[in-house]
Amino acid sequence: MKKPSQRSLLGKLFGASAKGVAIEDSLLTGYAQAGGKDICVIGTCSGTYIGNAAALRLAAHVIDCIERHPRTPIVMLVDSAGQEPNRADEMLGLASYFGHLLSCLELARRKGHKLITIATGKAVGGAFICYGMFADRIYALDSASVGLMPIEAMSAVTKIPVPVLRKLSKTMPALEFGARPFALLGGVEDVWPTDSDLPAKLAAAIAGAAVDDNRAALGKKRGGRKLALDVRNRVLAESRR
Amino acid sequence: MTGGVLFHEQTARQRLDAITDQGSFVEFLPPPERLTSPYLAQLGIPVSLDDGVVIGRARIDGKKVYLAAQVGQFVGGAVGEIHGAKLTGLFKAASRDGVPCVVIVESGGVRLHEGSAGEIAIAETMRAIFECRARKVPTIAVIGTDIGAYGGMGILSTCCDFRVMTEHGRLGISGPIVIEKWMGKKAYDSSNRALVWKTSGGKTKYLLGDADALVHDAAGAVREAIGKLLTRSSPVTLKNAKARQKDLEKRLKRFGKTADPDDLWKSLGVRDIARASLASGPEFVTLARAGRK
Repeated sequence: MKKPSQRSLLGKLFGASAKGVAIEDSLLTGYAQAGGKDICVIGTCSGTYIGNAAALRLAAHVIDCIERHPRTPIVMLVDSAGQEPNRADEMLGLASYFGHLLSCLELARRKGHKLITIATGKAVGGAFICYGMFADRIYALDSASVGLMPIEAMSAVTKIPVPVLRKLSKTMPALEFGARPFALLGGVEDVWPTDSDLPAKLAAAIAGAAVDDNRAALGKKRGGRKLALDVRNRVLAESRR
Repeated sequence: MTGGVLFHEQTARQRLDAITDQGSFVEFLPPPERLTSPYLAQLGIPVSLDDGVVIGRARIDGKKVYLAAQVGQFVGGAVGEIHGAKLTGLFKAASRDGVPCVVIVESGGVRLHEGSAGEIAIAETMRAIFECRARKVPTIAVIGTDIGAYGGMGILSTCCDFRVMTEHGRLGISGPIVIEKWMGKKAYDSSNRALVWKTSGGKTKYLLGDADALVHDAAGAVREAIGKLLTRSSPVTLKNAKARQKDLEKRLKRFGKTADPDDLWKSLGVRDIARASLASGPEFVTLARAGRK
């Protein structure tokens, strides 16, 4: 699967309306259309790292959408290798900048904006948690690199040999890296082939989005994350006593 | 107070006992239920009967609260599938029952041995935290342990209404060792404890306004700070979001060019850096307030 260029990818997703989306410093902000209706777009591209300034710019666009385009669905595109690994950003409170971006998205959700994520490239670690994983429904292109980290990186940190991790990943998709294993965990709703009719899929995704977090139930149903839902429900039952 | 033992020296269960009304803590899914990680078992790594997080209910000053305390001694307090599901369930229960929820964070983030399962669990817990906030149910992160609040748990902490930190606590995403590996020892020497704490420690976070309370490294002080916040909440509103946006823009404009934490401290009212470095949490608060006048 060849990775499409950013502009051509925006075209594939939003057709002619993609011209309403600006790309600046690997950040996407703008307004486009899906299924003939207006949408707001925020996102990252080129596998960029997300620092304080980037988080603020995305948050500003979410606020703009809430104020000027009530209830317009927000589509989040994710192609980022992670949080900016930088001491100055950490010192000024990178976690708090991310927390602010998440709060703005939560505000949008409460005010009736549907939130849809499409992982288009790298959707890794902190960069995925700081906005994309916060959507109502999350999708991934089949060419996207979704997950905590590749097995080789996991091996380097945990000192567990690659062949051991690879073997275990056959029965434990949480250890495998990629859009499809992530879907088995319920982390994404569906994986879209890059050459499929993406505008139609996006329009349907927006129409069908709901605010309940269905990921644990999906993970159980698909068999990739068998424990999460039951453990959660046991806590809910025990705390009621 | 808890005698001479500092908050950061206590274990998770000791902390919970020390910050709640005597004998009031009741654990949910306690160790006899034997909920252990199948991932760690498959990898031949010792498991823990609570999967590294203790959750339950108790009272603080007679008021019912739900509490979680991560266990740093067990794989660094990292979040796996079960650990994360316990947290998600607890915050969901808090939102359902209208009971404030406190999490004592001691974690580097996602448990790598469970890959993406822990990552999704953190995202699910964040959603549950915001459910609480929508119902004005207070959520509080306590950050005061050796390990601190890093990675996904650092981000999760910033989703809560309030953060109580001790001078020992640290809040961030990438830890010093990771950044040193990335930027080089010259840019960030992870063995320089003073620099590490001035980058991510409670004092700097309090000055910036990211910690709502900075207290002494003792359970009694943590308990008192929690008690004051249990009746308050910080609702997610357009007005608050816009004010925060302005705040964070101002912070970036004012300090974005400086890499030196001493510059930051001075600009925010700390005149005597050496004295402030050695001060306890409350002493530091007093020094900073005096300097701002």
